[in-house]
Amino acid sequence: MTTSEVSPATSVPQRDGGRRPGPLAIVLGVAALAVLVAAVTTQRFLTLDNARAILASAAFTGITAIGATLVMIAGSVVSLAASQTATVAAMVFLATQQWGLGVAIVVALACGVALTAVQGAVIGFWTANPIVLTIAAGFAIGGLATWFSGGTPVYAKVPAFDVLNAVPLGLPLAVYVLLVITVLAQWILRRTTAGRQLYLVGENRAAARAAGLPVGRVTVLAWAFFGACIAVTGVFLASFTTSANTSLGGNLTLDAIAAVLAGGTAIAGGNGSALRTLGGAVLLSVISDVLLLRGFSTGAQILVKGVLVLAVVVTVHLRSARGRR
Amino acid sequence: MTEPLVVDGLARSFGGVPAVREVSFTVGAGEIHALCGHNGAGKSTVVKMLSGQLTPDRGRILIGGDAVRLKSRQAAQRRGIALVDQELSVVPALTVLDNLLLGDIGAPLVNRRRTAMARGRQVLDELGLARVDPDQPLATLGIGERQLVEIARALSQDARLVILDEPTATLSDVDSERVFAAVRRVASRGCSVLYVSHRLSEVLRLCDTVTVLRDGRHVDTSPAAELTVDELIVRMLGQTPHRLAARAAPDPDPARALTIDRLAVPGRLTDFSLTAQPGRIYALAGQLGSGASDVLRALAGLHPRATGTVALHERAVRFRDPVAAARAGLAFVSNDRKSEGLFLDKAIRWNLVATRLPELASAGVLRPRREQRSAQRLATVSGLAADRLGVPVATLSGGNQQKVFVGRNLLRDNVFALLLDEPTRGVDIGGRTAIHRLLRSAADAGLVVLFASTELEELLELGDVIITMRDGRTVGRYDGGVEGTVLMRDMTHGVSAA
Repeated sequence: MTTSEVSPATSVPQRDGGRRPGPLAIVLGVAALAVLVAAVTTQRFLTLDNARAILASAAFTGITAIGATLVMIAGSVVSLAASQTATVAAMVFLATQQWGLGVAIVVALACGVALTAVQGAVIGFWTANPIVLTIAAGFAIGGLATWFSGGTPVYAKVPAFDVLNAVPLGLPLAVYVLLVITVLAQWILRRTTAGRQLYLVGENRAAARAAGLPVGRVTVLAWAFFGACIAVTGVFLASFTTSANTSLGGNLTLDAIAAVLAGGTAIAGGNGSALRTLGGAVLLSVISDVLLLRGFSTGAQILVKGVLVLAVVVTVHLRSARGRR
Repeated sequence: MTEPLVVDGLARSFGGVPAVREVSFTVGAGEIHALCGHNGAGKSTVVKMLSGQLTPDRGRILIGGDAVRLKSRQAAQRRGIALVDQELSVVPALTVLDNLLLGDIGAPLVNRRRTAMARGRQVLDELGLARVDPDQPLATLGIGERQLVEIARALSQDARLVILDEPTATLSDVDSERVFAAVRRVASRGCSVLYVSHRLSEVLRLCDTVTVLRDGRHVDTSPAAELTVDELIVRMLGQTPHRLAARAAPDPDPARALTIDRLAVPGRLTDFSLTAQPGRIYALAGQLGSGASDVLRALAGLHPRATGTVALHERAVRFRDPVAAARAGLAFVSNDRKSEGLFLDKAIRWNLVATRLPELASAGVLRPRREQRSAQRLATVSGLAADRLGVPVATLSGGNQQKVFVGRNLLRDNVFALLLDEPTRGVDIGGRTAIHRLLRSAADAGLVVLFASTELEELLELGDVIITMRDGRTVGRYDGGVEGTVLMRDMTHGVSAA
């Protein structure tokens, strides 16, 4: 093309394409450095066993957090019903052990996908408020778990799940699954039509709708993937504890959100990546580990994690607020 | 020297790139002074420096003879400079009076209701808003009246200089007239007005003096009475834009037409029917609320309660759902590119291919090379720099943003009709010509092009067939030559032909 076709306005100074270290990178860099210093000066931190422990503890939350990343990128904020969904998936998984491991996993995944995709459909097609909807769904699913289990722990008739507690090459199977799911999610986000549409819907839902993009469909897809991730977490939790009671999910919901946010994914949607979430999950896990080794209480661990997440959220928000003008 | 405002050798650059260099002009008391120039000429930068949002690199601003340094909008306000921004910054949920007090540094800490009320009443009366109650929620007012409330707010701050940045960009011609009347009244009280606008004919009608900027430089300041629109355009562009030649109608091809039969939207649009042939540009002429924009929105699937029948390429269109409308081959360009159009934080490349992802993918997997080729081709066709596709759209000027928005719908095998609502809103003259050329070439390529506009110049320039609308009904249809005055009469006083 000839230069005469370019109007002079195109010569506005070009913003360098995100290469320069932004405030977020600085916050995370400082946090990582502080953790590193604390870690190196902590006895027993730099041992192989400890590294395994860190990865193992990151895995359960991490798998759910990867799923939550997709949902957050699509602008649906996040599900507040993850713990309950994981519990139901775990119970279904244990109750179907006698049909064989494969069947049990498939049934548990189908259960997680169904529960979560329905919420995604209501949010995607009818524009429900995700926070309100998933709080309500959380109660309903929690009720389902209580009804299913009769309030007592669910045990497996046959322990087919033992395979899932294997530690190939010294690392729990869940760690490998986390890595595979991270790579898969990253590939979906970056290389597929649906992934691209998730970013667009999350950035500007009204524009996506007016352009005729399949807003409802991609939202349901993201939530279905999220449901599958939650169910995988539930399956591993059930195998690990060998039984499932109604509080099996524990703090999964908020821990997963914390991992996504610590990775710097914007809660308003349109930005983020699975790799970042993986980093966030590992960072939070390292913090817990260091504080644990130094003898701090659980309360102190939660406090430090909370402060980090807060710092990241504030930085991300300030950055996007300034970017908009 | 006691001129209210003297700007002397003002300069400012961003990251080494000068946006404004050596701009000087003087605004006298009670003078309406226009600031013209197309996007990127430096108007906004000058306005930002005068209103305290940017500090100049060089040059002086003299207010009432004193050189001042304006470090914030509050500082400018204290000096008597009030800015009415391009975008509405009034709060619909508050009352009119609350909006008047909003951001007023003179407002007392404890609000004395009676004093504020009396003052608000007086300001509203002065702007011809006598029928507006200060206690009325702003949401109950029309968009034109909201703009007037915003001007009223600036005036209630005892301003010596009011800066109006594109005050009529979002207004219909009727509402614009009310703003002009208000501006004249303000000036007659001795307050100076700096008026920034793209609408040149209104500038010439309203303003006393016109300062033209081009590429950040001061081109010329002269009395408006000595100028014509064409001369003004030449000064702004440095060249005369070509007028597109009139064209012969192509043979009608019913197999590729867009047929609209008794399209209606409750409360907005009544029985709109049209058979639009490929290769022609159909213009819907109507003010805000005329239904012109609702025709397009209904076709695009954004009015779920619309009724009627629509067919494109002899296939019925399920037009109550945006996804189905898009699949049927209708591409919609909203009049609000920021909130309903572009993905501003995303790169130009992503925006250009946003609606054609399935075509660039195999089995749902994107092919980066195909995407890059497609984006480059579209950028070239739309007149965008093909080597800067990684830049976020938010950093582009309004005109280039609109090129991205329109360009994203071009060269698609499965788009048969373009629907554009105010295709050149907030776009500079250069960009406007480029977008008109894009639409003409889309029509030449066999697309049905249907657009809505409130601007007479645009309607006459671009429309092969012009349909006038008012109050949700069709007033007239003009296939051949028509006078602008006829269209204007239809749009403001016309009665339905049916």
